[in-house]
Amino acid sequence: MNEPPQTKRPPGTTIPWEEKLKEMPPIVGDRELVERVWKQTDSLGYLYIYFCLLGF
Amino acid sequence: MPNDVEQLYQQRLARYTAAMRNEKPDQIPIRPFVAEFIARYAGFTCQDVAHDYEKAFEATRKCAAEFDWDATVPNQVWVWTGLTEAISLKYYAVPGIHLPADKAFQYVEPPEEDAWMGPDDYDALIEDPTGYLYNVWLPRVADDVVAPGEPSTMRNNLSFVKGGMAMMQYFGGLAQQGQRMRTETGTVAAIAGMLKVPFDIIADKLRGYKGLCMDLFRQPDKVIAACEALAPHLLEVASMTADPLRRVPVGLWMHRGCMPFLSPEQFERFYWPTLKWILCELHNRGIQTLFYAEGEWNPNLKYIAELPDRSIVYHVDRGDIEEVHCAVGHKFCISGGIPNDLLAFGTPDDVRSVCKKVIDGVARDGGYIMDASAIMQDDTKPENLRAMTDFPREYGQY
Repeated sequence: MNEPPQTKRPPGTTIPWEEKLKEMPPIVGDRELVERVWKQTDSLGYLYIYFCLLGF
Repeated sequence: MPNDVEQLYQQRLARYTAAMRNEKPDQIPIRPFVAEFIARYAGFTCQDVAHDYEKAFEATRKCAAEFDWDATVPNQVWVWTGLTEAISLKYYAVPGIHLPADKAFQYVEPPEEDAWMGPDDYDALIEDPTGYLYNVWLPRVADDVVAPGEPSTMRNNLSFVKGGMAMMQYFGGLAQQGQRMRTETGTVAAIAGMLKVPFDIIADKLRGYKGLCMDLFRQPDKVIAACEALAPHLLEVASMTADPLRRVPVGLWMHRGCMPFLSPEQFERFYWPTLKWILCELHNRGIQTLFYAEGEWNPNLKYIAELPDRSIVYHVDRGDIEEVHCAVGHKFCISGGIPNDLLAFGTPDDVRSVCKKVIDGVARDGGYIMDASAIMQDDTKPENLRAMTDFPREYGQY
C-alpha cells in the first residue's frame, strides 16, 4: 500500500470541525480557540471507539 | 546495583533502550511480560486482578520489587473487566461471573453466522470506518447500546458515560502506576500505546476468523480495501497513544498472520501491505514498534527484513530464534524465545540451560532482551521465572 484511501471521517475525527462549524452561529470571538478545543474534545470521542475496538 | 532508585531506573532505561536500538548495553536487559502470573505470585485470584485493576497494579509492583527486572508492563492483565461490564460488552468471559474466579478472562468469538460484522457490511466499513464502528458495530457488541434510529434508553446513555469516565480513570491509574514503578522499584514501563494489524482486527472483532477466511476466497478485494481503510486509523491511534518521549515502543500483538492461519501467499497479499505501511509510517514519526510475533512467523522473515533498521523489536514466540537472528538480527533487536511450557513444567536447571543456549546463540553482540516466548499466565512457576531473571544477570554481562 502506498497511500491510504480517504475515508468519510478523517483519522482522529468523529464530527469534523467543518461540519460542526456549519451548525454554529457566526463566531464573534476567537475562532481558532473554538476550533482547537472542538478538535481536542472530538478526538476523545474518536479514541473511545478505537479503544473499544483495539483494547477492550 | 545502585542504591538510589532513580539512578537504578536510569541505568535500567539506558540498558533497555540500548538493546532496542540493537546496540550492546552493559548487560542483557530483562523485560518479562507477565499477566496472571502476578496474581498467583501476589496471592490474588484471576478475578481479583481482572476486575480490580488496583490489585493488578499492586501485584505488578510486588513482582517488580521482588524480581530484578529492568522493565515490565504496568498492567499486563490489560482488560479491566469492570470497564467492559460498564460498557456492557458481550465478548468477554469474565472470571467470577462467566468463569471460575481462578481462570483468566477470555475473549469469546461468536459463531460464524453471528459475527459482529456481516459479510455484506464491507462497503459500509470501507466508506466510513469510524461511523461504522459507532453506528453498527458498537450496538451489536454492547448489550446496552442502541443503534441509531431506535429509541434511546437510559442504559444506552450510561454505557457511554460510564465507559468514557471509566476509561479516563483507568488510563489515569496506569500513568500513576508507571510513575510508582519508577519511584518505588526503579522499573521501566516497557511499552506504551495501542496498535493492532488491520487484518487481525477484522478477524478478531469484526468478521471473526472463520468468516474472514471465507471472505479471502469469496470477496478478497473487499478484504484488502477494508484493511486499507482501517490502516490510517490504526496508525493514528498508535501515534496518539505512543510514548511522547519516543523511548519505549508501541506494543503490537499479532494474532492471525503466522503459519498456519495464513499461507505465505495470503500473508503477502492480505496481511503484510497495510502492516508494513503502518510500521514504516510509525518509524518515520520516530516511534518504534514491539513486533510481538505470536506463533510461528519464520516463514515470513523475508518480509520482515524489508522494514527499516531498528523500526521494530522482533519478539520471538515459536519460531527458531537462531534462524530469526541470522535473518534479521543485523537489523532489529530480538526478544523472547524462552518457551512457556518450559517455564510451566520444567525445572530451574532446564530454564538456565535454555537461557544459556539463547544467549550464546543470539545475544553475543547485544540487541537481545530476555523474555519468555509468550505472555506468562498463572501456570508459570515462580522458581522458573526466578531462574530466567537471575541467570542472565550472571551470564549476560557484556
